[in-house]
Amino acid sequence: MKQFILYIGKILVLILLIMISLDVFYTYVFCHTSGRNKTELVLTTEDKNYDLVILGSSRAENHFVPSIFNSRGIKTFNYAMSGSKLEETALTLKLMLAKNFKIKNLILDVDLNLNSNSHSDNIRATFLPYFPISPIIREHYKNIPEYFSYRYIPFYRYAVNEAIGYREVGASIKSKKMNTFDLGGFYPLQNRGKNLYYDMSKFSPKKNKGYEEIRKLCKENNINFIPISLPMCQNTMKDFGNYFQEMKKIYPEIHHYENAVVDDKYFSSCGHMNVEGAKKLSTLVLNDFFEK
Amino acid sequence: MFFNSLKFAVFLPIVFIFYWFFSNKSKKNQNLILILASYYFYSCWDWRFLFLLIFSTFLDYYTAIKIEENEKKSIRKFWLWLSISINLGLLAVFKYYDFFAVSATEFISGFGFHVEPVLLKLILPVGISFYTFHGLSYIIDVYYKRIKTEKNFVDYSLFVSYFPLLVAGPIERATHLLPQLKVKREFDFEKAKEGIYQIVWGLVKKVVIADTCALYANEIFDNYTTMNSMSLILGAVYFAFQIYGDFSGYSDIALGTSKLFGIDLLKNFDYPYFSRDIAEFWRRWHISLSSWFRDYVYIPLGGSKGSKLFQLRNVMVIFLLSGFWHGANWTFIVWGLLNAVYFIPLLLLNKNRNNMGEFRLSFNLNSLKIISNIAFTFAITCLAWIFFRANTIHQAVDYIYRIFTNHIFSFQYLHIGRSVEKLIVFLVIFSIIEWNNRNKIEPISGKYSWIKLALAITAILTLGIFSDYKNFIYFQF
Repeated sequence: MKQFILYIGKILVLILLIMISLDVFYTYVFCHTSGRNKTELVLTTEDKNYDLVILGSSRAENHFVPSIFNSRGIKTFNYAMSGSKLEETALTLKLMLAKNFKIKNLILDVDLNLNSNSHSDNIRATFLPYFPISPIIREHYKNIPEYFSYRYIPFYRYAVNEAIGYREVGASIKSKKMNTFDLGGFYPLQNRGKNLYYDMSKFSPKKNKGYEEIRKLCKENNINFIPISLPMCQNTMKDFGNYFQEMKKIYPEIHHYENAVVDDKYFSSCGHMNVEGAKKLSTLVLNDFFEK
Repeated sequence: MFFNSLKFAVFLPIVFIFYWFFSNKSKKNQNLILILASYYFYSCWDWRFLFLLIFSTFLDYYTAIKIEENEKKSIRKFWLWLSISINLGLLAVFKYYDFFAVSATEFISGFGFHVEPVLLKLILPVGISFYTFHGLSYIIDVYYKRIKTEKNFVDYSLFVSYFPLLVAGPIERATHLLPQLKVKREFDFEKAKEGIYQIVWGLVKKVVIADTCALYANEIFDNYTTMNSMSLILGAVYFAFQIYGDFSGYSDIALGTSKLFGIDLLKNFDYPYFSRDIAEFWRRWHISLSSWFRDYVYIPLGGSKGSKLFQLRNVMVIFLLSGFWHGANWTFIVWGLLNAVYFIPLLLLNKNRNNMGEFRLSFNLNSLKIISNIAFTFAITCLAWIFFRANTIHQAVDYIYRIFTNHIFSFQYLHIGRSVEKLIVFLVIFSIIEWNNRNKIEPISGKYSWIKLALAITAILTLGIFSDYKNFIYFQF
């Protein structure tokens, strides 16, 4: 039995050594590459100056064309991330501020993301490689159930999050960059929709911790905060326009652009406009907020 | 409590410590600890079904004693059939009732009558098919006087409920397991080490092979109408590896775990995808179930004795039963039937026992023949798996129809963000490892075992899928 206990002990040491080595390797790869996602971009740059930063989910990523703002001398970058919820958006802003980003205006997509206070596993995962080295990230996630495992078990965060798994490490080593960076963070969609519809019957807007955190951060850092609701396809607006009216009751400061573009030809899917729709909306927002 | 969960990683060492350090190494205490651990393990799934398990155990324990007590054949038969009826009755109610109710109403609807089926919608108690078969084998063996009854209820309960095999087998025999439970187990370092290797390799098969294949196979089967011929073929292949990795991985973990307690369980898989014909495949796949049907159904029906017609009937019966055992769905029955269709030509030509021994490959025509036989057997097995995996027979037939009519063989990009062919290299490497170690239980032991162990652990940690947690397929049976 003694022999077996010794043997198990050796295996446990082996497992621990493998976990530590893998953790060090993965963390090194993620911390020494940039351009795989917008979280990396934020964490690997400092002292940026922007007239306008766009944050939110894919609806913001697909809907705001920075080149339109840039062409009018408004230095803009679209940091919105597909799948991101307001919890991750709040953390992105915290990191930007910690990295000494100077931001004059911030447009935040706020609409369907008020439906819940949930988080996105995939976007949260993009912050996890920096968990041991960033006190801001640790502080942001101090109340999540996995905090202890992420903090103290080597490699755990990589093993349970496929978004930062071996495929992502491989892509990072190969330095595969996101091509949206060349477009200022904008991800254009091409399809033209017809008779689009999205069932929002189970949606209801609620107070959101992440949203309130972003609003507070903007106030504290003298950032002009522009929360905006974005267009949805017309059939859905007919049936579920009430959702946006409900939003007004909770957060009256939100600027309502859900009906700003209505024709389905401007949409790729019900919640995502194509590049033509994005240009139309960006021009509208530019005129309303920056050229009056 | 899944074998690949953190909870099991805590549970197993605790039971191990109690078993070897606090049982005074007496057989009685060892068995007591194992039965308590087994009941706790089972109650983690659903404690309510623990009563069903204990009832089933007590039923077989009691009826076996009654059978042995009586010399009169009619009374012995009465107790035997009472036990069989109640056991199969429970299985029928929990597993098959809704299927029969729906099938019957569909049949009646075919004659123009509209009848609403009365459904029970019961949750299937995990492992019911496995522990019912444990009990049945025991009771039948006692009836035929192959074994003596087990008077010690704890020992008998442990035979039925031993946690490594409780929820998904292997289906043990009283003749094999009970004698091991009747003696005090002494710790054997080499056996325990083998157990560790088998557990680690089982985990590789489950979390690396099966769960990765599941990602692709699920995507392809769920969206098969949008897939081209190449994707559909690969979907069937990926499912073949998924179910093999999943079930044989589970069996490896079960066998390895049991070795830590000094108990050997029946071998359940023997590299089935290297079979040269379907008869050999069934001697290598889910061996404990195949041999159960052989010993308790096929041979009592007459086996390979009698006319060819009788033999055909017997083959059809065991394959259909085998399909039906897996689940209450016509797809499983067709899967069993299809395997019978594959098997029958071998039987008629007296070739079903042709490929019994080991084989080696070299650069000659015979080896080429062996390779093509293995490839052919794997291909027809994959075809049958389509029925096993599909939700309905129509879906399976449509899937196969599309394979042969689509004629597009390009590699498609799947919604999971991966191209369909990405897994091929991965599976080729896995197959080479299995091929090179096909004369061993697992590939880790032997020369350079520490390096191989380190590689296996690294594979589990880096390639294993833990984010999208997947159940073992055979738990549903």
